[in-house]
Amino acid sequence: MKKLVIPGEMLSDKPLRLDHTVVENGKTCSTVIGLYDESASSLIPVEGLWYPRPGEKVIGIVEEAKLNTDLINLNAPYKGLIISKFTEGNIVNNDIIEATVKELDKTGTIILIRPRVLYGGKLLAVKPSKVPRILGKGETMIKMIGEGTKSSISVGTNGLIWLKGGDYDLATNVIMRIQEESHVPGLTERIAKMVGVSTQQNRE
Amino acid sequence: MDKPELIIDGKRLDGRMPDQLRPIKITSNPIRNAAGSAYIEWGNNKILAAIYGPREALPKHTGNLNRAVVKCRYTMAPFSSIEEHGRPGMNRRAIEISKVTKEVFENVILLDLFPGNEISIFVEVLQSDGGTRAAGITCAAVALAASGIPMRDMPYAVSAGKVGETIILDMNKIEDNYSDADMPVAINPRTKEVTLLQMDGALSRSQVTTALTMIEKAGETITKIQREALLRPYEKVSSKYEASI
Repeated sequence: MKKLVIPGEMLSDKPLRLDHTVVENGKTCSTVIGLYDESASSLIPVEGLWYPRPGEKVIGIVEEAKLNTDLINLNAPYKGLIISKFTEGNIVNNDIIEATVKELDKTGTIILIRPRVLYGGKLLAVKPSKVPRILGKGETMIKMIGEGTKSSISVGTNGLIWLKGGDYDLATNVIMRIQEESHVPGLTERIAKMVGVSTQQNRE
Repeated sequence: MDKPELIIDGKRLDGRMPDQLRPIKITSNPIRNAAGSAYIEWGNNKILAAIYGPREALPKHTGNLNRAVVKCRYTMAPFSSIEEHGRPGMNRRAIEISKVTKEVFENVILLDLFPGNEISIFVEVLQSDGGTRAAGITCAAVALAASGIPMRDMPYAVSAGKVGETIILDMNKIEDNYSDADMPVAINPRTKEVTLLQMDGALSRSQVTTALTMIEKAGETITKIQREALLRPYEKVSSKYEASI
């Protein structure tokens, strides 16, 4: 049974290893507003910030392109940094780039690798806590949106989404709807109906 | 001016019992530009709180490379009060309340997660009727939770005071001006930690205990209201689909 919890609410009187929780006096408490599933022992935040992990894909805007390093605005409490030895080709100010997180240093700077410039298109900012729902299990949701709207979509875990081509407006509406209804069951069916694609279940 | 009689036949001037709160209504996220926001109507108090950040601490020297810093600005709108409190801008009182509010939230926010950043809390009193610092803290706690900033607890604040020998809860403007003591308190409900305790006037040890008991009891109601305010938007979306099934 899933239930909505608020910061400070006790989830278990035992210490659990869960993201977005604190363990104090052997008890586990939530630190965010989220959906807690006691049987699966999971807490999915409905409001939350982004914490970078190595290997994650991010999207950002080049703020300051220098000779040796490029400073990237990731729309997050952390600055992105690309060291020139990881870059191929030329990156200039205001380019939209897609890159992978290498590590987060102690000063809150993220070292990015494998940058790729995204030309044209538009950027959409969503709540980072909704990104897993937008991607879907095995990225099925985002593939379905791409298929239905004929758009090229790249989703950054930092909450920036790049869209190009196809039906922009529909893709934007769909993503915004996922953001609003991410905690309500049956979302995949509603989105499939919205973009006019049959879901995997229906095909079977 | 003579001191007015504040308790008549066991009831206060606005008809409340000594341990009764004023009606409280909280709305979360009324300001779209902010990371999180809340609006509270606590009796005749009307207060907006908005959260910005975590964002780069500026000017740079105000930041801390090991943890985030909390910055708070409490102000009263020029039209908020009939007395001198409504002067625009920061005055001695506003600086003090900003400081104590900041300290309440430094205790609950997980600051270590955002080194070099700042979290800004803005509390704007639109209409005041006593107890605005307590209402401001309660409102800012909802705004912080709505912004997704991780917190150990959801603090609430409320004041208690003394009229004659009677301890009263949640004082309004007139009671605040003419009471014998006033004690605003902020508490983290889960751990029962007191994160703010100020006192004006004199209370005996037993009176402080009585006041704290009253505050803790009222805290259960306030926490419930905070919780409802935070979860209402999600339950509203859920109920839309439950109804259609």
